Amino acid sequence: MKPKIAVFDFTCCEGCQLQILNCEQEMPDLVAALDIITFREVMTERSDHYDIAFIDGSCTTESEIARLKEIRQRAKMVIPIGACACLGGVNCFKNLHPMEDVLKAVYGQAAPYYDTIPARPIHAVIPIDFFIPGCPIVKEEFIRVVQEILAGKAPYLPNDPVCAECKMVGNVCVFDKGQTCLGPVTRGGCKATCVTGGAVCWGCRGLIDEPNINAEKEILEKAGLSIKDIVEEFSLFNACQEDVWK
Amino acid sequence: MDVFITSKADFDSSIQRMIQQNEIYGVKRKTPSFAFDRLVAAEELCLDYDITVLPPTKYLLPPTESLIKFKLAPEPSIRSSAEAQPCILIGIHPDDLHAIKLLDAVFTGSLTDVNYLARRRATTIVGVDCVNPWPYSFAASMGTAIPPRIFDLWLTDLGDEYLVEVGSARGEDLRKRYLKTRRAREVDLRQRNKVRQDWLKKYQLSLDMPPQEIPKVLDEAWHSPLWEELGQKCLACGSCTMVCPTCICFDVRDGIELNLKEGERYRRWDSCMFDGFAKVASGENFRPTGTARLRHRLYRKGKYMLERYGELGCVGCGRCVHACLVDIASPVAAYNRLAKEAR
Ligand code: SF4
Ligand code: SF4
Ligand code: SF4
Ligand code: SF4
Ligand code: SF4
Repeated sequence: MKPKIAVFDFTCCEGCQLQILNCEQEMPDLVAALDIITFREVMTERSDHYDIAFIDGSCTTESEIARLKEIRQRAKMVIPIGACACLGGVNCFKNLHPMEDVLKAVYGQAAPYYDTIPARPIHAVIPIDFFIPGCPIVKEEFIRVVQEILAGKAPYLPNDPVCAECKMVGNVCVFDKGQTCLGPVTRGGCKATCVTGGAVCWGCRGLIDEPNINAEKEILEKAGLSIKDIVEEFSLFNACQEDVWK
Repeated sequence: MDVFITSKADFDSSIQRMIQQNEIYGVKRKTPSFAFDRLVAAEELCLDYDITVLPPTKYLLPPTESLIKFKLAPEPSIRSSAEAQPCILIGIHPDDLHAIKLLDAVFTGSLTDVNYLARRRATTIVGVDCVNPWPYSFAASMGTAIPPRIFDLWLTDLGDEYLVEVGSARGEDLRKRYLKTRRAREVDLRQRNKVRQDWLKKYQLSLDMPPQEIPKVLDEAWHSPLWEELGQKCLACGSCTMVCPTCICFDVRDGIELNLKEGERYRRWDSCMFDGFAKVASGENFRPTGTARLRHRLYRKGKYMLERYGELGCVGCGRCVHACLVDIASPVAAYNRLAKEAR
């Protein structure tokens, strides 16, 4: 029997769901292999009987906590996708401020009618079975994870830093050009796409399992960053993992 | 010895003709460094380069490559992916050629790696002496700044001309087909010796002992405080091994299509510096710390490879010295320090 799939959106830009839709070439095989029953961004029908729930976005309201708990009860597998869902992502910026101020800044006079809580990744609310990192997720990685689940294998989660793939594709290291980079402590699997494209790594795939934070800070400092700059660099995607890097 | 002279102007037009008729990879600018890449025009070729980001061994052992393709249905079947297009690599430095010699011993010695063999056989090697060694190289002191005789053609820059040494029948064929040459004279050979001696003096880093003595130094160094000192700074990023021309480790993985009927087994560069490299099925990791991994890497370069394959595992190119962002990967710094500790 084909596994029943649901894709849910929480607080996010929905870019990761778009990445699933961007799997144009694989789409015929995807729909042949999976029974997609709930996916608000692409279909109106929906059902609550799903096996695998992919979750896009982070949890930022009390009502989202309740919704996540319900999904956890129904699904056999819960898989957060993207930086928002896996790390809290850019949404965690608001955690740096009191929640009342945040509400006021966004909703002005209507603030009392809204609820907000500090942003958190999905695994901080419910147990998860796997996760697909990245802002946005890498299409090929999404397909690979689906293939591995279908084949009954434990999906493979890369744990080598971005530097490894950055070297494999033959990039000149940005530190050689006077820039700075979070590649040495960030989970690879994106083929260092930002460096290849002429930018630097901002750490959107989250930290590797055992990052050498002291060494990373040392090279950032050597490259001229102040403590404040370093905090900013880590905060972009990894604010929720402050306990690891601060 | 079959040695010839060609003028640089003639050489450029020879390259242009070669490009039109062959798949040819050469050294091009990749600011602020250089890289081996497909050549489209002769003027892209930089033969006075200092170093390339990745060594030319990437064409013999690519970062990822398919090993077999398999089908599970209707009938189970497997097919080897080993095949290679003939190509010419131009601009290989002496130290990188020493690395290829080691790779030959690893992949075509007692066990034959069919993928490597196919690529190696399809590859014509045109090397060049290194005119501008970069500040991180210590090849002169490793004895690897003069090429081993496994090239097809070898070039030495003599100012307005190249001296061309033919190393194989394939090289001779290439010379005859594309190069406009005259026979080299005694004076040309003397000139080559002279410039080579001059270039050897340009290397800024140097091993404090004959390279054959590295294993002896390492025999006494297992408990040195150096490993801990360096290891705790290690990012486990693998950069030092990814850029290394003598690194040969790969991971083998299976991929399966969504239809679960066909798939592929492929390999991908791996690194003993990753913290998961020595992790086995039980979850046990027999080199769990940066200290253990760093020591392993430097023993492998300075001892294990020599014992197993008859060549040192480091050719002194200096790529790791530069690539390591925390300055701990340098074999020459480590071996010199350990030799001093032993004294
Ligand atoms: S991870 Fe990035 S792309 Fe995905 S939903 Fe969040 S902000 Fe959008
Ligand atoms: S550019 Fe960034 S990811 Fe690439 S090697 Fe340098 S530090 Fe690592
Ligand atoms: S290079 Fe860094 S920022 Fe870019 S996709 Fe990869 S992990 Fe994310
Ligand atoms: S160990 Fe370093 S210096 Fe030696 S061959 Fe490898 S990259 Fe070059
Ligand atoms: S020695 Fe340097 S380059 Fe090698 S893995 Fe450690 S930090 Fe990375």
